[in-house]
Amino acid sequence: MEYVIIMAQSIMGLALLLAFVRVVRGPSLPDRAVALELFSTIVMGLVGVQAIASGVASFLDVAIVIALMGFLASIGFARFLERGGLRDD
Amino acid sequence: MIDLLKAILLLGGALLMLLAAVGIVRLPDLLTRMHATTKAASLGVNLTMLAVALHFSDVGVVARALAIILFVLTTAPIAAHVMGRAGYFVGTRLWSGTVKDELRPNYDPLTHELKSGQEPRQNVERPGRDEAPE
Amino acid sequence: MIGAVWNLLLGLAWVVLSGDFSGFNLLTGLVFGYLVLALIEPQVAPLSGYSVRLPRMLKFVAFFLKELIHANWRVAFDIMTPPWHMRPGVIAMPLSAYTDLEITFVANLISLTPGTLSLDLSDDRRVLYIHAMFLDDEEALRSSLKEMEHRALELFR
Repeated sequence: MEYVIIMAQSIMGLALLLAFVRVVRGPSLPDRAVALELFSTIVMGLVGVQAIASGVASFLDVAIVIALMGFLASIGFARFLERGGLRDD
Repeated sequence: MIDLLKAILLLGGALLMLLAAVGIVRLPDLLTRMHATTKAASLGVNLTMLAVALHFSDVGVVARALAIILFVLTTAPIAAHVMGRAGYFVGTRLWSGTVKDELRPNYDPLTHELKSGQEPRQNVERPGRDEAPE
Repeated sequence: MIGAVWNLLLGLAWVVLSGDFSGFNLLTGLVFGYLVLALIEPQVAPLSGYSVRLPRMLKFVAFFLKELIHANWRVAFDIMTPPWHMRPGVIAMPLSAYTDLEITFVANLISLTPGTLSLDLSDDRRVLYIHAMFLDDEEALRSSLKEMEHRALELFR
């Protein structure tokens, strides 16, 4: 089980790195917003793995909070874009 | 048995997230990137949460994990729709291999009016008409 | 809807009375609750239709999961292999759903399956604009979207 947890964590870490590449490179603001949303989703997965690894169920509350924040953030970004924000192409 | 199932779920979730991340780096434009990220990543979170529910198998934890799954399943498509719409109307350019776009001719960027193309029966947009490159 | 609440209550009552607080026991309670509700359904007016609707809902969930895995596999294959097989594009799908709830449900289902993403609804609410990733066989895509919409609407009507 330990190996599985370490493998899952490293795969998710790699995914975080790749998402970060898109945040840095992304040509426009919507691309970066999508990458940040992916970020929050991957962090939720990492928190779930951490809950299994440490045996502390309270980590799930952290995941709930991250899910709420990620959703609200993407809605806010979309509103900002539609009202005419920065469009750095 | 349970351990094996948990391992499969965890690795599956992690691989789906990796798939989403590879997709967001490799795919050519905003809308196709959203295809990769929102669905694969939210499915990955769901698998991870199922593994958590199996690991603890306690009423409170299972209820919370199921609540997270339900929440992710309801909000992921909404977030994807909202972001995709905003990105599309802001005018991010589509990939050069895009075959058709039936929305553009029906959208009026000044009034933000979106026609359905159903009212006048004679000139409904026809597939195959070449889209002007943006 | 009222049937689902009663089913849940009966399942909880089963768990409390048998004193075994495990997920499997709750499942047993739910199954027995469903059987009881199906038995008394002809006599109780507010329950009518519940015993048919629940299997239909389960069947829909199974169908949706199958669709989800199949589409996910296709998107995954295209992302992982170097040449692009995809032919993305925006298509207009005429809707037969007309209330707010139905339209929201159908649009979310379409967004949730990989390969299709609902972009916007026309102002007169008759057409849903969908960004699709694989347009090589447009007719097949349209008919599968229609089938999904049809099955989803069956749950409401």
